[in-house]
Amino acid sequence: MERVNLSPIQRASTTFKDEIINKMFIFISFLFLSSSTYAQSTVPVAGFVTNQSGEPLAGVSILVKGGSQATTSDNKGHFEINAPANSTLVISYVGYISREISVGNTPSSDLSVQLIVNKNELEQVIVVGYGTRKKSDVTGAITSISEQSIKDVPASNLASALQGQGAGIDIQRSGANSKPGATPSILIRGTRSLGAGNSPLIVVDGIPFDGSINDINQDDVSSVEVLKDASSTAIYGSRGANGVILISTKRGKTGKAVLTYSGYAGVTNVSRDFPVMNGTEFANLKKWAKINAAPADYTGLDDPKFLTDGTFSAEEVEGLEIGRNTDWQKLVYKQGFMTNHQVGIAGGSDATQYAASLGYFDQKGIYPGQEFQRFSVKASVDQQLGKFIKVGLNSLNTFTLRNGENNNPMAQALRANPLVSPYDSAGNVINDYVPGNANQVWNPLGDLIPKAVVEDRKRFGTFTTLYLEASLIKGLKYRLNAGAEIRSDVYGNYYSAKTSYRVNKGGSASVNRTGFRTNYTLENLLIYDKTFAGKHKINLTGLYSLQQSNNQSNSFDNTDIAADYLAYYNPTYGANLKGSGDYEQWDIISYMGRLNYSYSDRYLLTLTMRSDGSSRLAPGNKYHAFPSAAVAWNISRESFFRNADNVFTNLKLRASYGRVGNTSIDAYQTLGSLSSIVYNFGTVTTTGAYPTNAPNPTLAWEYTSTANIGLDFGLLNNRVSGSVEVYKQFTNSLLLPQTLPPTSGIPNQIVTNVGKTENRGIEIHLSTVNIQGKTRNSFTWTSDINFFINRGKITQLANGVTSDPGNQWFVGKPLDVIYDYQKVGIWQNTAEDTAAAKSLGLTVTGPSSVIGTIRVADLSGPDGKPDGKISSTYDKTILGGSEPKWEGGMTNRFGFKGFDLTVVAFARMGSLMNSSLYGGNFVNTYQGNYNNLKVDYWTPTNHQNNFPKPNFASSNPVNRSLLGYFDGSFLKIRSISLGYNLPQPILQKLTARSLRVYATASDPFILFSPYRRAGGIDPEGTGTVGIDTPSTWAFIFGVNVSF
Amino acid sequence: MKKIFVLLSTAFIMVLAGCNKKLIEDPKSILVPDFFKTSQGLESGLDAAYAGMRSFWGNQNLFTVTVIGTDGFMRGVDGNSDINLYSSNYTPSQGTISSIWKDAYTFINTCNGIVDNVPNVDIPQARKDQILAEAKFLRANYYFILVQFYGDVTLNKNFQTAPTTSATRDKMADVYDFIIQDLKDAIAVLPASPKTSGVLPGKANAAAAKHVLAKVYLTRAGSSAKQADDYVNAYNTATDLINSSASIGLNLLPDFAKIFAEGNEANNEVLWTVQHTSDIAFNGPNNSGGADNVLNHMWVPQYEKRPGMIRSIEYGRPYIRCIPTLWLVDTAFKERVNDTRYNKTFQTVWYANNPDPDEKGYPKWPSPLPPGAPAGAVAGEVQFHLGDTAIYMPGYDVSDAQIKAAPYLLIPPRKYSNTLSPTMFKYFDTKRADLNSPSVRPVIVYRLAETYLIAAEAAFMSGKITEALQYVNAVRERAAFPTGDAQAMDVTASDLSIDFFLDERARELCGENMRWWDLVRTGKLLERVRLHNKEAAPNIQEKHILRPIPQSQIDNTTTGTPYPQNPGWD
Repeated sequence: MERVNLSPIQRASTTFKDEIINKMFIFISFLFLSSSTYAQSTVPVAGFVTNQSGEPLAGVSILVKGGSQATTSDNKGHFEINAPANSTLVISYVGYISREISVGNTPSSDLSVQLIVNKNELEQVIVVGYGTRKKSDVTGAITSISEQSIKDVPASNLASALQGQGAGIDIQRSGANSKPGATPSILIRGTRSLGAGNSPLIVVDGIPFDGSINDINQDDVSSVEVLKDASSTAIYGSRGANGVILISTKRGKTGKAVLTYSGYAGVTNVSRDFPVMNGTEFANLKKWAKINAAPADYTGLDDPKFLTDGTFSAEEVEGLEIGRNTDWQKLVYKQGFMTNHQVGIAGGSDATQYAASLGYFDQKGIYPGQEFQRFSVKASVDQQLGKFIKVGLNSLNTFTLRNGENNNPMAQALRANPLVSPYDSAGNVINDYVPGNANQVWNPLGDLIPKAVVEDRKRFGTFTTLYLEASLIKGLKYRLNAGAEIRSDVYGNYYSAKTSYRVNKGGSASVNRTGFRTNYTLENLLIYDKTFAGKHKINLTGLYSLQQSNNQSNSFDNTDIAADYLAYYNPTYGANLKGSGDYEQWDIISYMGRLNYSYSDRYLLTLTMRSDGSSRLAPGNKYHAFPSAAVAWNISRESFFRNADNVFTNLKLRASYGRVGNTSIDAYQTLGSLSSIVYNFGTVTTTGAYPTNAPNPTLAWEYTSTANIGLDFGLLNNRVSGSVEVYKQFTNSLLLPQTLPPTSGIPNQIVTNVGKTENRGIEIHLSTVNIQGKTRNSFTWTSDINFFINRGKITQLANGVTSDPGNQWFVGKPLDVIYDYQKVGIWQNTAEDTAAAKSLGLTVTGPSSVIGTIRVADLSGPDGKPDGKISSTYDKTILGGSEPKWEGGMTNRFGFKGFDLTVVAFARMGSLMNSSLYGGNFVNTYQGNYNNLKVDYWTPTNHQNNFPKPNFASSNPVNRSLLGYFDGSFLKIRSISLGYNLPQPILQKLTARSLRVYATASDPFILFSPYRRAGGIDPEGTGTVGIDTPSTWAFIFGVNVSF
Repeated sequence: MKKIFVLLSTAFIMVLAGCNKKLIEDPKSILVPDFFKTSQGLESGLDAAYAGMRSFWGNQNLFTVTVIGTDGFMRGVDGNSDINLYSSNYTPSQGTISSIWKDAYTFINTCNGIVDNVPNVDIPQARKDQILAEAKFLRANYYFILVQFYGDVTLNKNFQTAPTTSATRDKMADVYDFIIQDLKDAIAVLPASPKTSGVLPGKANAAAAKHVLAKVYLTRAGSSAKQADDYVNAYNTATDLINSSASIGLNLLPDFAKIFAEGNEANNEVLWTVQHTSDIAFNGPNNSGGADNVLNHMWVPQYEKRPGMIRSIEYGRPYIRCIPTLWLVDTAFKERVNDTRYNKTFQTVWYANNPDPDEKGYPKWPSPLPPGAPAGAVAGEVQFHLGDTAIYMPGYDVSDAQIKAAPYLLIPPRKYSNTLSPTMFKYFDTKRADLNSPSVRPVIVYRLAETYLIAAEAAFMSGKITEALQYVNAVRERAAFPTGDAQAMDVTASDLSIDFFLDERARELCGENMRWWDLVRTGKLLERVRLHNKEAAPNIQEKHILRPIPQSQIDNTTTGTPYPQNPGWD
């Protein structure tokens, strides 16, 4: 495995430093041992040092305990040493837990040593904003995720690979969407903003990254650092409030060229079908719907009139007679496919290091026509120019193709009538309305006919960073960082006339959207490093930076395209051509200074001050200062601590406080805006403009102050290590989108700086080496556990109001709550219930009678107590929210005889989820017009208390939203991976450094989920969990090889 | 080394230098509210203020709350049960009610933007006056809709660009005064008639403004804000228009059927329309939502589910939102010899249109043949063919035996259902692009016949019986054209009553998006709904005379005094 987490700036110095350390080790050992007697006889010992994944480790120090002999491993991890008989070898390497191996008295040529990553290695260098630091010197709360962890989960994008890997990092599928190319949402330490974004800032190789997570090939990533507290993020002041994710990509390093290949391929399948009714069940629902709408008209379910009075169409009647039961989902789903290939080469001399890679990823979805492909090319060069100057360049280029990103046949498939056939007598797809569904449901198979629905996204992007670093005088460096990102995105849609998309509209339609985005960053840094009197270490960093982002897009659409094959390519041949365009530019200018001071490596201090100016805010409010301070105490380095050495390898206490900002709102909000609207006066057509957004001339920074206390510990030679963080965040001047009363004349929400939120939480990381196997043949077991709790709440809203039901914001409550009536069951057809309903003023007779519908509680009234009326003002309450009680992840790695087994699990417990499958979509209407979710509904004879009566006279059950709320807790196995590392003798024959084959099951099990138990598919998802592409599980085979 | 130093310092300084110009926002793809301070801005704003009318006239929301839930129309099978049945599920959160409220205030603000900015823009005075007059005409119309539905409402007189979170309700009397002043200002400037040369279809004109003003007086006279001279003013304003109509190219069409004839929306009886066009890019979303004219869909029954029938452009898309009450077709439209309006308003015959060569969807004669089957009927053979009558509603009762013996579906009034009843066809549209497309026809909002009825009602209410008879009989006599006896249509003083006027309006203005207001104005909503709308009868209550203040208004009024709800709605 490569050394982790190296940014270009530090690479040269660390490799150099490592060398020094290694040499010092040898030297010290020599001094220490010089007085002892030399052993009489020596035996030659040779072998290999690898990491847990079987990859060779180069530069590992191997020395004889109590002796003078020492060596280091070569590029292939190979080493040879002459050791005294019956002596012990000490094998150590920065970032790994040291090992001792006994040597017998016979020569040994194939000693295989496995080193386990030391999660709390103080010498380890990690990336922080604008530089790197030794872990022992870090004062803030930073989660480091290694390349190994990313590799553990072969996923379609980097964010999915990080799921469950770090405390305080909440990654969920957006809206439970599992389409190929869908990107998850990332939240760090909860949500704090209501109006501005909550997404963290992503920084790739030191430069803010504006692209999508899909634009990054995770195989190119060497490490991910997540900055969580204000002290760490304050240097990204302007946009640090939501946390910062620092992604470092792989660079070359000095040594022989290493060629790597990694690849996998596998299949994906739907994890579970949506629970809809079969033919008979649907027929009964339809009959009940008619009976409940007009009880006098029917004698019961067996009334023969149903077959002749138009309740059932001719096709349905036929279906009933022959017992037809069409499973529309089965006809729509297919097996998906996923494959990934990456070839890389890296190496270099002392002056020049290079790395290059090619990647290809392809994922085909579970519906025909869904696909995501990514082609990537990466190249980096670092070059020393003379003695004082170093330059480097890194270029990430991706081209992605995404098909069918909105195509979702479920909206039709779940509602389609199970009694009728999708095919005509000749076996062709009937490309029309599904009979018996009130001319509302189009045959979903019609949308899947090739070329009927075209949704192509082509996206090309290049992200290039370069740096120049000059040593000016001793200790003083100047560094120029420059990064440019250019992305072009073309999204074309075509919907032929006979598809569900064009139902009720007539004619085919096309849309073609093009976007072009540029984003550049320029940074000038001065860095001063100095140690005074051996004990006072000072690091000063000064920065001036400028970022500008420019986005331009155009869209045109038309209908009635002359020929299907023209699709979206030429709008000339069609009717009703319309076009629109969008332009946005924003800038941020920043000044930053940072002081790192340490005394005797025991007492550490970091002071940061950053001032940012944002174009998006109002004149006069554009600039804001973001100060922060942090202290840390390396307790384990105190002399009084020595006694505890055997237990505590390391103990460090940290505390920080600081302020960071957020301006992630759309540009131009200070100005207000008009909307366009079309009209005609006879044949004279016009486009008018009318005010829809109010200007806000006082828009200012939203900022978050965070206090963080952390404790890092390592016990038993770091076999147990971890950290505990406790934090509290205060967000002020919230950028709130506010719905105004309609009488304001402004129909759209506007963003204002009002309100405050608070978040507090605790995060625990624990890494343990449970069983430390000596060699590749012995059993090894390590665990990584993270656990975190976040509690957010609104503490202030605009104008001192404490409750804003229109926006569902309530002071003292979490940011994202569900505010609705309280369901207490179903109104039963008893005298008691009828009387109770009547007394509430509810209708109890006729087609809109409430009997058999959802009953809600009369919770309160104008006087604060139940008033005998159901009113939305007094009887809605907070039922819960999306914030979980706790979250956690756990990764267990087992190794034995070259085999490794990795199980990644994560849990999100105690949130209230909203499923539009049950509570919102057209698949749970009980009207009988469409197929329905399979539920035990109320009938005059089935007095159950959960689901309302079918009613043909009502297109939606009253209070249906209440059916959609579920406990969103879950415990999932994210992946199970079994791998095998080929042993050295075989590798040597193959002339390979390493070769690992593996099989992985992704998302194989949901071990616990009340929603799933109730019939749903997968509770994971931000916002409302809908009926988009259901979740899938994958089974893949892969190989990693290096030469 | 030195060279590099110089190079770097230069780079650094260059980067610093370019900065102070940054951070200034310079939008290139959006228009901002200050656009209203330019001449183009005023014109665009005015176009938008007209376009806003599409959210009302032709939109399902206004149709729902004016046509259904009255004495004339009740819920069809796909109708909105809650609001039309006045059930307990009809609450302040009802979307129809909220949309009307919100849309009105959005476009009132647009009008206010024009009115406030006109004085400051450098354009010729005549154009200024014209823009101002049109904006005031539109603003008055928006407020008139609000005040009739909700009673006391917020009266915004000025352009609001700053975000406001408080609101108060103003007295209905003040709102009416404001509307009347706007209309008077508009009348003084607007061109006399839609027929005046240069007046584009759909543009505001003095004739339309006078009609609205007369209607406003008449409506206020029936409200708690009534003024002593309201009926007189209503009468004078209406008769002023009627008396001058001939001179400005307006008259009652001789044939009632021609008023709503497709393509004839700009006829001499029409005062004002809300426009639509077959140029789809300027017609609305074309998905039967938002700004689309969907009146063509609203009455269409489920004819397509009957033998021999399939959905067609001609017969329309079966939204079946409403069906006529039995009272409307059997009592109000009872006279069908001299009064031709029933047959010119309702479709009662459908001809088989299923072209299936095997006549699969066609019914077959049973064996033995039913007694009374027509000559030529053969057991086991198809009862009728493509182009033959498939559905017929004779309008009088027939026996079950006659129904069985008829080759087509014979439906007497006792068999009218909420899936298939006589169908109001004033808004049918055969020129729309697709079977399921919304209408491309302009919506007739005000027409001269209603001016006559306003004059007649105002005259009656102020004791001018002769004049009342004169104007109402003018409308009734026209209804006899061409086959009826016009004189037989005349009514006499003893026939007149407020109920008579409501009946006459039901016949003349059937389905024309105003019935609910007529009933409220005359204080007859509860009485007539209870008498004639059998589904809504058990539910309707006193509070239903006003629409509830939308919950979104109450919830989002977060500062100042809470926004008051209408009585009985909280």
